[in-house]
Amino acid sequence: MVSAVASDTVTGPSVPELWKTRHDKERLQWGSFALLTPAFGLLAILFLIPMGFAVYLGLTNLTLVGPTAVKWGFTGLQNLTRLRSDTSFWQSLWVTGFFIGGSIVGVVVVGYGLASLLMRANSWMRVVVGGIVVIAWMMPAVTAGMTWYASTTQGGAFSVLTGLANTNFLDNWPVETVTIASVWSMTGFSMLVMGAALRNIPSEAIEAAIVENASSWQRFRLIVLPLLRPTMIAVVLLTALLTLANFSLIYIMTQGGPNGATNILPLYSYQQAFSYNNLAYGALIGNVMVLIATVFGVLYVRIASQRS
Amino acid sequence: MKVSKRAFLTKLMLGLSVVALPLTVAGAGGVSSAGAASKTTISVAYAVNTTFDTTPLAVKWWGGIQKEFDAKYPQYSLKLVPISGGEPDFLTKLALLYHSSSTAPDVAQFPSTEIALYQSTGYLLNISPYLTGSSWFSQYPSVIANEGKIGGKIYAVSSGENNNGIYYDKAVLQKAGIALPWNPTTWADIITAAKAIKKAEPKVTPLWIDAGTSAGPNGAGYGALNLLAGSSTPTIQTASGKMVVSSPGLLQTFNFLHEVYSDGLGAPTSELFSPNNAPNIPSALYPKGTLGITIGANFLGGNWAKLVNFPYWSAASTAMGITGLPTSNGKSFASTLSGWDYGVSATTKSPKADMDLINVMQESTNLINADNWAGWVPPVKSDWTIPVYTNFAPPFNEEFGKLLVYSTELPSSSAYNTWVQGFEQATGTLAQTPSTTGAEAMASMKSYVTNQLGSSAVTTLP
Repeated sequence: MVSAVASDTVTGPSVPELWKTRHDKERLQWGSFALLTPAFGLLAILFLIPMGFAVYLGLTNLTLVGPTAVKWGFTGLQNLTRLRSDTSFWQSLWVTGFFIGGSIVGVVVVGYGLASLLMRANSWMRVVVGGIVVIAWMMPAVTAGMTWYASTTQGGAFSVLTGLANTNFLDNWPVETVTIASVWSMTGFSMLVMGAALRNIPSEAIEAAIVENASSWQRFRLIVLPLLRPTMIAVVLLTALLTLANFSLIYIMTQGGPNGATNILPLYSYQQAFSYNNLAYGALIGNVMVLIATVFGVLYVRIASQRS
Repeated sequence: MKVSKRAFLTKLMLGLSVVALPLTVAGAGGVSSAGAASKTTISVAYAVNTTFDTTPLAVKWWGGIQKEFDAKYPQYSLKLVPISGGEPDFLTKLALLYHSSSTAPDVAQFPSTEIALYQSTGYLLNISPYLTGSSWFSQYPSVIANEGKIGGKIYAVSSGENNNGIYYDKAVLQKAGIALPWNPTTWADIITAAKAIKKAEPKVTPLWIDAGTSAGPNGAGYGALNLLAGSSTPTIQTASGKMVVSSPGLLQTFNFLHEVYSDGLGAPTSELFSPNNAPNIPSALYPKGTLGITIGANFLGGNWAKLVNFPYWSAASTAMGITGLPTSNGKSFASTLSGWDYGVSATTKSPKADMDLINVMQESTNLINADNWAGWVPPVKSDWTIPVYTNFAPPFNEEFGKLLVYSTELPSSSAYNTWVQGFEQATGTLAQTPSTTGAEAMASMKSYVTNQLGSSAVTTLP
C-alpha cells in the first residue's frame, strides 16, 4: 500500500510536484548571472575597484610630495596603529558625531514643526514660508557657508539682532554654530518629506481620536508619530549621510577651526592628505568615513525594503 | 516644382563650395599649425590668484612674459599653465601635475618652503650649471641664493621675497604720547606702546599680530613666527630634521602673545580668524585710523599703491611709520623670510629653453614689475634702491629692502607644515582664550605636533 502510494506519487500526474514548489520565494536561476554581468561590471569599475584601491592606499606610505610620493609601498598596519593613538582623529570623530547628531535632531524637529504648521497655514503663507525654506535647501553650500559666516561673526546679523555687538558667535560657539547652519540648509528637504507624509495620514483616524476626547499630545504620540515613524527614520538616515559628506559648509565657515573645534572627519582627511601631504593616512580616514556611511546606508536600505 | 538637372547640379556645386571654403581655410590653418608644431613648446605653471596682489596684474605680467619670450625666441613656444585658487589649492594642483611626466610643467613657480620637498621627490633639475656667469644670480645676497641650494646644488631661484617688520600709525602713537620716530628696542617697548594706545584711544586696536590657522601655513610667517625668529632660541627644525616643540624661544613667543591678548591689546578674533586673507586686513584698517601697531609683512605697504588699490591710500607714505622688529635681547632686528621661486622640472626635454625663459622673467624690468605687483622684495640687492622699486610704495619698499638682511629663512619640509599648524593652533588659543598661559599654549602645541609626527620626529631645546 505504501509502495503503491509512492509509485503513484512518482509516476502519476505532476500536479502534486507543482504544489511542492514555493512560488512566494525567490529562486536562483543561473541564467540571470549573465544578465547581471553588465551591471556587476559597472559596479566593479565604478565602485568596488576604486574602493578596494582606497583601502589599499590607506595601508601604504604614499604622500603628495616627498620621497614616498614616487617610491611608495605597503606598510601593513602602521597607519591603523597611528590612527588608534591619534588624538586629533578621536577629537574629529567626536566633533563629527556632534555635528551629525545635532543636525539630525534639528532637521527632524524643525522640519516636522514647519510641515505641521504649514498644514494649518493658508495657501499664500504656505507658498511664502515653504518657498523660503526650500530656497535655503537648494542654495549651494558655498553660498550658504558665506551667508552664515557673515551672519555669525562679529558685527553680523546675529550680533545686531541679539544686541551683542562685540560677540563673535562663530568663534565662541563654533561647532554649535556650524550645526545650526547645517540644520538651516537641510530643513527644506525634511519639511517637504514630512509634509507629504503628514498629508497621507487618514483624517478619519484623527477625527475618531478627537471624538474619543484624545488630547493633542495623545493624538501626536499615538497616531501621528507611529504613522510618521518610517518617514522620520528615512529622514534621519538620509540627513546622517548628507551631513557626513558636508565638507563645503564647514570648510568655508571655519576651515575646521578654531583649534580643530569643527574639524569633522572629511576636513581632517583633507587636511592630512593635502595640507600635511599624507595621502595614505588621509585615505585611511576616508575609509573610516566610508564604514560609517555604510552603516547608515545599510540601515536605510533595510528600512526602505521593509516599507516596500 | 520641377528642378532642371542643370540647375540642380549648379546648386549642388554652390553648396559644396560653401561647405568646402571654410574647410579649405581650416586646412590651411592646419598646415600653419603643423609648422608651429615644429617649435619646441615649453610650459610654465604658476598661481594666478595668490602670488600677485591682484589677479589682473598676474594675467598682465604673465601675458607680457609670453609675448616677450615668443618674440625673442621664435624657435620656442611658451604655454602658460595658470593655476587658480588659494595657495593650498595651488600647491595641491601643482603637486598633482608633477605626479606624471606628461603633465609636469617644464618650469614652475612655487613658495620657497616647498623647494626641499619637490627636490626630495625628484621633481626638480639641478640648474647650477646654467647659472654660471648669470648676471642676475650673481647679485643675490647669500641668504636668498641659498634658498634653493640643497647639497651644494641649486634647484630653484628666487623671484621675490617676503620679510616682516613693524608698521605704526604716527597719529595714533602721537595721541598716545609716544615720541616719533618710534624705534622699539625690546618686546617690552612694544607692549608699553600698545598699552598707551589702549588707554588713550579705546576704539583703536593697539596691536595686530597674526594668530590662528585661517591664513594657512604662511599666516604664522607674517605674524608670531617673527617673534620666534627674534627669540633666544629661534630654531624650528634641527640639523637632524627634528621639529622643536618646546624651547625657551617658543615660551618667550607664547608669553608675549599671552600678554597681548590677556591685556586686550590684540585684534578681535573675528578679524584674526577671518578666512578672507587675514594678513592683509591691517592695510584696510590703517586708512580708517583704527589700528596702532602691526607686526606684519612687507606687502602691506604695497597694498596702498594706486596700481594695487587694496585700498589706495595716498597719505600712507607720510601717515605711516616703519621699523624693524627687535630681537628679544634688543641687540638686532628679526624677521622670517620666505619667497617664491622658479624651478625646472627634472623630466624637461629642453632645459636650455627653460633657462632662457627664466632669464627673460629675471630681466630687470620684468623682475621689478613682478616684485612691485606681487609685494615682494627683489632678490637682486642692487634693485632695493632703484627708483622704479622704491617709488612704487615709498618708504616701505626701500625700508624692507634694508631689513631683509636680518631675516631668517623658514624651513622646507613636510614636517614643517604639521609643526606650523600646531604653532598656529597655539597662537589661536591664546587669542581666543586669553586666560591660556604661554606654557599651556606650548604644551598644547607639543602635544599636537608629537601626536601628528611621532615622538621620534620632535625634540625639545633647553
